[in-house]
Amino acid sequence: MIVDIPADADLVAEMAAHGWGDGLPLVAPTPERVEAMLAGSPHTDPDEVIAVLAPRFGEATRRILAVNAVMAGCLPVHLPVLEAAVRALARPELNLRGVNATTHCVAPLLVVHGEVARTGGYHGGLGAFGPGNRANATTGRALRLVLLHVAGATIGDGDASTQGGPAKYGYCVAENVEASPWPAYPTTVGVDAPSAVTVHCGEAPHNVHDMESDDPARILDKVASAMATTAQNNACISQGEYLVALCPEHAATCAEAGWSRRDVASYLFQKARLPAAELKRAFALRAWEPWMERLGDDDPAPMTAHPDNIRILVVGGAGKHSSVIPSWGMTRSVTVPVTLSVNPEDQPKGGEPAC
Amino acid sequence: MLIHRPDGAVATPPALLAPSPTVLSGRRIGLLDNRKPNADVLLEHLAERLVERTGATVVRTETKNAAIPCDDQVLGLLAEEVDVILTGTAD
Repeated sequence: MIVDIPADADLVAEMAAHGWGDGLPLVAPTPERVEAMLAGSPHTDPDEVIAVLAPRFGEATRRILAVNAVMAGCLPVHLPVLEAAVRALARPELNLRGVNATTHCVAPLLVVHGEVARTGGYHGGLGAFGPGNRANATTGRALRLVLLHVAGATIGDGDASTQGGPAKYGYCVAENVEASPWPAYPTTVGVDAPSAVTVHCGEAPHNVHDMESDDPARILDKVASAMATTAQNNACISQGEYLVALCPEHAATCAEAGWSRRDVASYLFQKARLPAAELKRAFALRAWEPWMERLGDDDPAPMTAHPDNIRILVVGGAGKHSSVIPSWGMTRSVTVPVTLSVNPEDQPKGGEPAC
Repeated sequence: MLIHRPDGAVATPPALLAPSPTVLSGRRIGLLDNRKPNADVLLEHLAERLVERTGATVVRTETKNAAIPCDDQVLGLLAEEVDVILTGTAD
């Protein structure tokens, strides 16, 4: 739907009067700009409903996504990434209603993989989680605008987050597959596509620095230390995932010692533990696997029920800082292909998970 | 200046609330505790008062976790056994 606003209106104020916007300056979503944005999609139907987003049950059509992409400052090449991210958000295992409505500070982290990361200008290198890259900044922001406007995740209404969080403005990064010693992340979850996105609903990154180790165990012991805390939802929800974003140098140290991605996850599963009694004392209400409930008080309880819940990928540039991103808990990360062409010969195919 | 609205249409909700009964006397009331801390305290207090005042009978149920939808099995039980459901969220 198109509305008419005064030509000299303060767009941010005009939008805010309707409950729209994120407080930052916006690009006016004029019909001309929205049409230009839609040209970035390989699909021809702008009014196809891509997803219905809770809790508002708003219909995310390609056109509505384009409107929000314009407002955020995206380029047309970013629209297919936003569409894929919205498809991921709508998957039931992601539990978008809970993610939006919770009092927790959770925000969806959008990770861009493969060809579209390069062609769209997404950044996974030095300072990747920080400012300075248009693709990361605007696509992450566009996803938040879609959550605000279409999903209804507005503060105090569809979003009850006690403190909110900076990641709720925008949270997008690329996998640095060029600097990774392991196969591209999507192949580990059965997505063999030239381009893909992962949406992981979690906290802001928690830093882990190690400047001196030349063996994987010493580095990963610090990562495990960042995971093994009662100060996170995963401590009482055993299906919770950790996204561990290793910097290239830490990943190289692991790989040069012969460690696969699965080896890293298995090691962290073994090392990231707290005495069961400590976790039980911290959380009377737990959503744990039954076998974890049977642990003795002195048994070391893992911070998640399975090594597969520890997701490893490479992000960043030179330096020795990695990060741990605990999930909100009652959510699962989702990886989906990005459709850049509707030519049947270009369609992605499934594949066996790789280590 | 013409601009697009950024919110779009709202889909048909998957379910609608049934109309509330006008009288609670003799009704069967279900308590659906979402397991948020103190939700049980609030619901139990409400139930005691309602039983005293209306003679209603109470069925107690709970969800696994406040963060996920209630099991269909629990909702099915409530649909069969009660006329009104009280639920709440709290921290």
